[in-house]
Amino acid sequence: MTIREEVPVQSRNLVEMSWDPITRIVGNLGIYTKIDFDNNEVVECKSTSSIFRGYSVFMKGKDPRDAHFITSRICGICGDNHATCSVYAQNMAYGIAMPPLAEWIYNLGEAAEYMFDHCIFQDNLVFVDFCEQLVGETNPRLLERAKDTPAPNADVHGYKTIADIMRAFNPFTGEKYKESLAMSRLTREMFCLMEGRHVHPSTLYPGGTGTVPTPQVFTDYMVRLMRFLDFVKTIVPMNDDLFDFFYEALPGYEEVGRRRVLLGCWGSFQDPDVCDYRYQTMDEWGKAMFVTPGVVVDGELVTTNLVDINLGIRILLGSSYYEDWENEEMFVTHDPLGNPVDRRHPWNQTTIPKPQKRDLEGKYSWVMSPRWFDRRTGDHLALDTGGGALARLWATALAGLVDIGYVKATGSSVEINLPKTAAMPETSFEWKIPEWSNAIERNRARIYFIAYSAAAAFHFLEKAMELVRAGETKTFQEFEVPDEAIGCGFHEAVRGVLSHHLVIRDGKIANYHPYPPTPWNGSPTDSLGTPGPYEDAVMGSPIFEENGPDDFKGIDIMRAVRSFDPCLPCGVHMYLGNGKVLEQRHSPTLGLGVEH
Amino acid sequence: MSSIRDNLRVGKPDVKPDAPSHVPGISQGNAPGGIENDPGFYTTGERGAGRPSAKSTARRSTGINPGARNPIDPSSPNLSPA
Repeated sequence: MTIREEVPVQSRNLVEMSWDPITRIVGNLGIYTKIDFDNNEVVECKSTSSIFRGYSVFMKGKDPRDAHFITSRICGICGDNHATCSVYAQNMAYGIAMPPLAEWIYNLGEAAEYMFDHCIFQDNLVFVDFCEQLVGETNPRLLERAKDTPAPNADVHGYKTIADIMRAFNPFTGEKYKESLAMSRLTREMFCLMEGRHVHPSTLYPGGTGTVPTPQVFTDYMVRLMRFLDFVKTIVPMNDDLFDFFYEALPGYEEVGRRRVLLGCWGSFQDPDVCDYRYQTMDEWGKAMFVTPGVVVDGELVTTNLVDINLGIRILLGSSYYEDWENEEMFVTHDPLGNPVDRRHPWNQTTIPKPQKRDLEGKYSWVMSPRWFDRRTGDHLALDTGGGALARLWATALAGLVDIGYVKATGSSVEINLPKTAAMPETSFEWKIPEWSNAIERNRARIYFIAYSAAAAFHFLEKAMELVRAGETKTFQEFEVPDEAIGCGFHEAVRGVLSHHLVIRDGKIANYHPYPPTPWNGSPTDSLGTPGPYEDAVMGSPIFEENGPDDFKGIDIMRAVRSFDPCLPCGVHMYLGNGKVLEQRHSPTLGLGVEH
Repeated sequence: MSSIRDNLRVGKPDVKPDAPSHVPGISQGNAPGGIENDPGFYTTGERGAGRPSAKSTARRSTGINPGARNPIDPSSPNLSPA
């Protein structure tokens, strides 16, 4: 633990630094910080988003059967998670459950998506921050030490020193970097076998799937999975070696990106033996999911009940470019169980955009501030997803409900058992609940969740093949669109919690609100003054980089933010506050209103 | 024609609400009864949590002498090709 003395902000010599945009897709995430280089600490942080999407606005009035096709386009990397979640919400609204084989096909597709996306993000993007080249630029002394530090699991993965592991992840030249790219192709093929097309599935619709369940589809999937397992069995110990080295070589590194344990997981992989998609039984089938939903506060599992999770969601404003919907229509006053639904719940949200100039002391983001209302304390908790994997493993481990042989939750850990493959023997991994929710543990959990998904996929394959061998090849259930209905879907996008809330009136969408992980993680400070998780994790984070302000790369801040998996960081631009700024413009509406 | 709204100059709206995706009179893929009318499928009740289940015969794949395309051994699963 690092001990840092509190120095009053006024007496500090603060340097403003910003990275905008950080993220990929539309490059919409900006991180604005004030850094105290004398004390190696980030003092202030604001997370902003300068793009407005408006799905909740233009979904109104559309045919609900189109919802999964449209909402899939929210994301260019996890669109299938949206499609799947939308199908779950529609199934509830239409009062149907798809045939079991269709459910296993969904599970297999989603498992492949976790394998693909976590793999490409971890090995090809996160590890750029940990590779030999970058560590040499930011922490040359650390690299020297890595060259002399033997890797504890060298006999498994073949890299003798920690520096060898770092070298294997050098972009474009590193051995593992290149192998990971090949693996992401393989896992993407697995995905396409099940869901037709990546990343906007062509074979998913409410009621089932258009995937034709021939034995060959499943064996094609399995062949690829077995090949991928050889890779998984080496990559997990490589990650452990590298991350343990950081803790050991840089005492206090656990403080980078650390925040209070406030994790949310909405559960993944439905069990068709229990799930009937009815709201009334949602608690029961939520607990049967193969990744257990849950809210973890300070290491304690507060609930695994999806109904509680649903009713606790609150969408706050405060620093966002929207007008409040306090006087707008309430769409759902009570849920189907008779519980009152809050005005700030997504079912009752009305999005009223109000574009304006960015003001870091006032309104500065298009992202709203989703919070989870803790009934025990009355707090609106700024839950994060730990980049998805950390919350999933943490909630599943604590709940201790999953036990399918390949994966077993013990109450304090998750055991993952992988069968023998061509190049490697039978292997077991155990992910143990860590001491901290920090950058390193978010990254470590990601690699373990790849192994988790691969192991769970074997269970899904066995179940699917059992049905195919019995000739039960039905994969679609018909339905009628009701005039009035409500539905909600809970799923895990790769980088965390995902919910879709749907209200149907006159057979059309009256209200639709998708809440993906990034609004939770990247939310700005809310109306109650609670900062969003990125802000919270970066504020107070120590700086270990050896470079001074002149050639500062901000590697520790980048590691903290990227550990949340804010989609794929593509372009990083930065300027020093005391540098030369020729002209700075901010236009929230892509040029509208800018005087020329 | 542009107007000023909240200090921003905005253009004239030129979008129309979407047309409904369904045209009355045209059958809908999700409409009940569709699968029953598909030759070669027969329902086998429910499985798991009230989930529908059905099997198929070779008639699902071909209309030409489908009886001869079914498995010889009645205990074999009938895996009709796509």
